[in-house]
Amino acid sequence: MSADLTGILLSFQPDSPDVEKRRDYDVKARNFASQLSNISASHWSKGIDTEQDVLTILNPAVNSIAYAFALRHRLAAVVEKRNVPDILQPGGALWNQLVLFLETADPVQLRYVGKEWRSLVEWTESIARACGSPSLAIAPMRSAMTRLDPTTGTFTSIHLIFVQLCLETRSYAAAEPILDNYIHTLPTKVPNVVRENLEYSVPCADVVSSGEYMHLNSGHTDKVSLADIQEYYVLGAMAYLGVRQFKKAQHFLEHVLVAPTSSTANGFMLEAYKKWVLVTCLVDGKMGSVPRTANGNAIKTIKFASKAYEALAEAYEELHNMSKLKAQVKMGAEMWAEDGNTGLVTELVNSQMRSYVSRLSQTYSAIPVSNIANHLGAPADQIGQYIETLIREGHLNARLEETDKSNAGVVLRFYLDPTQGPLAKSEKQQQQALFEQTLRTNTLAEQVKDADYRLTLTKEYMENQKRLNKRQGQGGDAMDTAWEDSIDPEEDIMIDLH
Amino acid sequence: MASSVEQSPFFQAHKAKGLLIVKDPPKFDLESYIANYSGYTRIDRLHHIGAHSPYLAVDAYRLAIAQAKRGKNVELYTTLVEELSKIAPDDPAALTDTTWAEKKTREVREEHDRLEHELKSYKNNLIKESIRMGNEDLGHFYYDTGDFSNAHKAYMKMREHCTSPKHLADMNLRLVYTSIAQKSWTNVMANLAKSEATQLKGEDKAKLEPIISACNGLALMCAGSYPDAATAFLGTSAAYLTAEPAANITWQKEVISGNDIAVYGGLCALAYMDRVDLQNRVLANSEFRNFLELEPHIRRAINLFCNSKYSACLEVLEGYRNDYLLDVYLADILHIIYNRIRKKSIVQYFIPFSCVTLDEMASKFPTTDGRSINDDLEQMINQKSLDARIDLVEGLLISPPTNPRHDVHSDALTMAESYDHSLRLRLTRLNMLAAGMEVQQNKSGDKGSNTGGGIGDTFRGLGSKIGF
Repeated sequence: MSADLTGILLSFQPDSPDVEKRRDYDVKARNFASQLSNISASHWSKGIDTEQDVLTILNPAVNSIAYAFALRHRLAAVVEKRNVPDILQPGGALWNQLVLFLETADPVQLRYVGKEWRSLVEWTESIARACGSPSLAIAPMRSAMTRLDPTTGTFTSIHLIFVQLCLETRSYAAAEPILDNYIHTLPTKVPNVVRENLEYSVPCADVVSSGEYMHLNSGHTDKVSLADIQEYYVLGAMAYLGVRQFKKAQHFLEHVLVAPTSSTANGFMLEAYKKWVLVTCLVDGKMGSVPRTANGNAIKTIKFASKAYEALAEAYEELHNMSKLKAQVKMGAEMWAEDGNTGLVTELVNSQMRSYVSRLSQTYSAIPVSNIANHLGAPADQIGQYIETLIREGHLNARLEETDKSNAGVVLRFYLDPTQGPLAKSEKQQQQALFEQTLRTNTLAEQVKDADYRLTLTKEYMENQKRLNKRQGQGGDAMDTAWEDSIDPEEDIMIDLH
Repeated sequence: MASSVEQSPFFQAHKAKGLLIVKDPPKFDLESYIANYSGYTRIDRLHHIGAHSPYLAVDAYRLAIAQAKRGKNVELYTTLVEELSKIAPDDPAALTDTTWAEKKTREVREEHDRLEHELKSYKNNLIKESIRMGNEDLGHFYYDTGDFSNAHKAYMKMREHCTSPKHLADMNLRLVYTSIAQKSWTNVMANLAKSEATQLKGEDKAKLEPIISACNGLALMCAGSYPDAATAFLGTSAAYLTAEPAANITWQKEVISGNDIAVYGGLCALAYMDRVDLQNRVLANSEFRNFLELEPHIRRAINLFCNSKYSACLEVLEGYRNDYLLDVYLADILHIIYNRIRKKSIVQYFIPFSCVTLDEMASKFPTTDGRSINDDLEQMINQKSLDARIDLVEGLLISPPTNPRHDVHSDALTMAESYDHSLRLRLTRLNMLAAGMEVQQNKSGDKGSNTGGGIGDTFRGLGSKIGF
């Protein structure tokens, strides 16, 4: 039997010539997967720890479909038990096999074993948790996600689990590669008609968007709700805050705010708005305006509940009166702590001085440090050092210099020409940046087109289209009959009036 | 004498309230200045001068009281006398003529009763023309006694009884006249618009136009829209100077004189027009030239500004500051206009230079009220009206080098980024909509608050953990 199994397992060869056509490949792979899912669990457990062990015979990179099934059954058998056995412990044999599979599996075959893939990834997380070292799961999960979908732009339930894990273990930097890839597709129900038996639309085809092979029927993801997505964005923003990427955090929070709503808001939006107010100050130096796509009434509701934060933002803008912000921060200390925003608020206070100094560059070309120190009420040495760090960290395009003139002491001199100084960009750099941006925008435009296409597949769109067609048809008919029925045109006018 | 007037309780109180006091004598001669005016505005202007210039206070009050005694406004008379008694208690005019006041009050009451009575009988007779005239008389009466709001009401009542466009036009002008006395500028503008819309034709219309545009300018200026005011004044035809009384009002004497138009229009234009416009629309304006001839120094100031002699221009204006502060309409807004002219001069002055020392700036544009030139420049730069940077070390004002190519590139980049971002936001939204996701109202009642609380809890824990 065991030999039988091996035979079946090796029967699907992705490189063989008879699956060259996409459609053939699709049919074969599909049949193969359903065949494997009919094999009972007992067959899989045969031959463990022998030469005939399927996991040693199969190559995860070539026989990915078979390997995924084998691995899942093997794990299912072990995981049931209370204690995590040694082979499953990170570093154990089975764990290594799992990681190897997640990192090297064939991306195209993975598209056919969505359910298996998801269980494997989820187990990776729970095993690592059970062993008390959840951070070990981060790297395998991340490679699993990028392996399946290099853009990781199709939202899955794995995304959320991954971000939660990263935040819990405070490994924000580890989350960045995934967060940086924006979500361009949400898993939807794709009608079978569009999915099957089309040369260019079968899952194994070289498709533009990963959304075409990852959807609710493919098993790669659990059903995702709006709350899941919002949570992903809020947590993602917090991860960005952890690595001080304020601008990206701001953008993430805005994704939460634009959620479609029937003029009402939820807890995520409130949470996001509070953070957004503070982060916007950090990024732009002033309070910005909410994205236009956001629902007005919903924003009004959450604005009403976030007055304290807006007051902070106002105080932040008053650069000539810095004590006001400090006083307000002190007043609301409890509130910030309760909302988990104390860190952000502290950051706000710290950056106000920076904001003040960089505002000076719009007024002065050179100013003695002692003048700034007078205004800020701090000793000149300290301010001098502070400014030096600002310049070093790239917040100011300026230099500090000593002068012997009129006892000015150390002088802060700004570079007036944008092509000079430490922050200057050469034209080549600019061109490069523009070029990269063009590429990004083009990809994005493709994805938008894709999303638009998906929208035309939804039931609502179809119904609306149907209704439109019907109305047009009816409208024509109605008019015709009206002409025929009405013998007296004047009477017709009266009818219209009524 | 001036010093004792300045120490009088009246000006002390003024000073304590922080009100304006013009200490130095103005250039004009009170007698000849006030001879330009008659009617209510004469008393109003005298009152303003008296209350703000210790130097002219006594004379102005005397003239005002003498005129008030000829009129019917007892209240105004008593206020004037009271104020004068606080300034110069020994002056013969500072004693209230109680017999006159009592007699006048009685007369006024009698006249009021008589007019009301007449109006009532007209109304009973249902003769439109009589009712209109009755209301008009009542309006005149209220106006004379200083009860402007009732005058306004009485004139308004004339409307339904007007039978010809001429009547309507007269009524509207009366309304304008009353609202100017009330200094309620939005009303003035509304009534002016109505006057303009009356269906007068040909000559009558032509007569009305200069009056309307002059009053419009005044109203716009006092309401703070100086550029529009400048346009209105500049559009006033020279016929205003010789216009016949309309609606029994000699506008150039009882409202604003030709000199006023020259000063108001000139200053507003100087503050809000660039050099080309000043040259083309003010100096080369043949109609407005007639007004400018009345006030040659305004003409000189504009000429100097156009010839880039900014400090000389400011000097001329500075010389007349006191005069204008004693003008009833300019007093409150003069500092705005002057500041604006000064700032504009600085900007214009700086354009051809890449670098000017601050000392040079300070000598060209001396500051008035204890501020340093640095403060002014700093404020102007922060308001983005002056494109420059200050070098406090070398004491220089520097024009920043521009690099349009670099700017365009970086602008394009930021624009592309923001476009990219908003596209992403829309994509997210589109996806959510396509997936049928929506924050629901009914859920927010029980479930929403639940999740809200739950989320809050988890975040709170996380927040304190990660320190953000």
